[in-house]
Amino acid sequence: MNETIRFRIRRSPADGGAGNGYQEYDVPFTRGMSVMDGLDYIYEHLDGSLAYYDHAACNQGICRRCLARIDGQTGLLCQTLVTADTTVEPIPTQDVERDLVTKRGRDRNG
Amino acid sequence: MKTIRTDVLIVGGGGAGFRAAIAARQANAETLLVSKGPLARCGASPMAGADLTCHGLGMRQAGFFGEPRDSEEKFFSDIVHQGCFLNDQPLAERFVRDGPQRLIETLEWGCEPYLCDERAIFTSGVGIVDAHLSEARRLGTSFLDDTAVLELIVHDGQVCGAVGLDIRSGEILRFDCHAVVLATGGWHKAYTPVTGSKELTGDGVAMAYRAGAKVANMEFVTFACNVPVWPPVWRGSIVTYAMSLMCGGTLENANRERFLDQYDPETVAIASSTEWNKSFFSFATAREIRAGRGTPHGGVYYVTGDTPWPEFEARALRSYPDWKVKGADFSELGRMLRDGEGVEVAGAAEYFEGGVLVDDRFASSVPGLFAAGECAMSLFGANRVAAATMEMLVSGAIAGTAAGEFAQSHPSSEPPEDRVRTATEAIEAPLRKPSGHGIGHLRHDLQEAASAMLGPVRCGEELEAFLRMLEDARSDRLPNLGLSTTTRSYNKEWIESLEIENLLLVLELSARAALERTESRGVHYREDHPITDNDGWLREIVMSPNRDGVHVEHRPVRVTSLRPPSGTQPYLEMVREMMCAHSDVGGHH
Repeated sequence: MNETIRFRIRRSPADGGAGNGYQEYDVPFTRGMSVMDGLDYIYEHLDGSLAYYDHAACNQGICRRCLARIDGQTGLLCQTLVTADTTVEPIPTQDVERDLVTKRGRDRNG
Repeated sequence: MKTIRTDVLIVGGGGAGFRAAIAARQANAETLLVSKGPLARCGASPMAGADLTCHGLGMRQAGFFGEPRDSEEKFFSDIVHQGCFLNDQPLAERFVRDGPQRLIETLEWGCEPYLCDERAIFTSGVGIVDAHLSEARRLGTSFLDDTAVLELIVHDGQVCGAVGLDIRSGEILRFDCHAVVLATGGWHKAYTPVTGSKELTGDGVAMAYRAGAKVANMEFVTFACNVPVWPPVWRGSIVTYAMSLMCGGTLENANRERFLDQYDPETVAIASSTEWNKSFFSFATAREIRAGRGTPHGGVYYVTGDTPWPEFEARALRSYPDWKVKGADFSELGRMLRDGEGVEVAGAAEYFEGGVLVDDRFASSVPGLFAAGECAMSLFGANRVAAATMEMLVSGAIAGTAAGEFAQSHPSSEPPEDRVRTATEAIEAPLRKPSGHGIGHLRHDLQEAASAMLGPVRCGEELEAFLRMLEDARSDRLPNLGLSTTTRSYNKEWIESLEIENLLLVLELSARAALERTESRGVHYREDHPITDNDGWLREIVMSPNRDGVHVEHRPVRVTSLRPPSGTQPYLEMVREMMCAHSDVGGHH
């Protein structure tokens, strides 16, 4: 039952992704876990420097702000189920703020 | 440091904030709304089901079927009984009176209803907030998103500004203003599971309290019942909550016993068909779990019960075609229900009755500081059955008008530099701590403890243990936790370090109030005090900061037309009596 899966995550250069590369983490696998659950595990237990857009995440597929590229497909971190080793990257068409957080969708005229 | 000047600063990017912005703009005040997350896509509003409640005559005014026998008096009476007479009656009267107009304008601004009953329209939370955001925008509100307002500046006896953090860039922002409306919602993140977004950390209540404002009713927390705890991807969804109202079904404990059978059948029947379900089923579920009859992941089983599967499925599919809910796939959940496995569910933190003590204009005890929506003391008293979405619109409109007028009649002086510097240093302090790791872990521990010890069922011993744990977290654990990285850009540990300060404060106030209230009423049940005491406890617990810590006072509830009962009675008898006192108006409220 102590199955683990490997997350391969694209990091910003200053945050462990030397040469704009990837960092890998082993995460305990649970059936019915989302990519967001995996990232939460990494953040809480393995690497608190990891950035992904979740400070205001709804976790229910409603806010749609946790979009990322998951194994090459664009999807919501909170609604995409993990079934095997998983690669997570920022949305390629958007500038990166840090790690998986992109500069999309700011709303300000203040 | 960037300084932004405005007349009225509104903190919160959900329904209460938008409605307050509309009102402040209508009062001709320059208005800036700052949202911690994305506008109209954070907080609790967009996550709501959502119903918008109004008495039957108001429903008819708005062009819907509405119960013609209904009246303002009946709706008011029902709300006060549901609140177990702890409601602030002047505010509850405003809620009833202003409802029709709030409903009509919500529709005018583009929100589309898809169903209605005797006292409510049913639409989506997203629909409600989008309609109000576009109206606030049209009226010339300025906006700032992904920005946390973290400290208020009070000078010369009134609010004159605030200091915040741009979460993406890590830049500190200073706001100079003449009035502030807090619309920051609850402190869902203190619990697990929850039905609100992750940024709800009691920021408004905590900074108001630090600024000297009184808070009240902090012991009352409503848990949505029948919310999945497993698998992780469904955790916190309201899909089974809604299903239980639409399709029926019942609950079983780990021994596969239908434990609701041990309660009064009428109480169960009323709870099953109305939004009394939240408080009663969350209470009954918590009792099973505490008695050691919980499921492997800390819940009970939601099963189809006496509803035959074809009927259950047909009703479910009417609202959730193909078992799809807002982009999420629940077909596996359908299979689990069909095959009789059941879904592991429990109460999830949903609504916080406690908050900033407000007067008839939703003004706090600090001049220039107003509060609306969930971060203000609830007008629903000890238990909410009618819609919080309507409460946010009613209170937002009143607070926004009051703040807009106040800002123009009471110009404040500029925030003193030293006060801004102190606030800035406090925000930046985590960046200067020695490196370390474990903020996320500490938050996780707090969530587990709050859910277990400050949930629907409490007892004195556990509340005392919980308070000790909070003290330990504040004095021992937090000071030793540094950040894994000192980058300013989207630093999750930095943000959480600041949030945890607020969570620790609101949890402490909530646990102290729960310990102080030695009776059971509404959503506050004390195992060691299972009696509702109408002689001793028709009082609100009001807290404010003083030199020695927390100053606690009791305020008798404000009564207008409904005289509260007297005497004492067992909790469940009081619940049944309050349920059965309902007027002859049908529907879910």
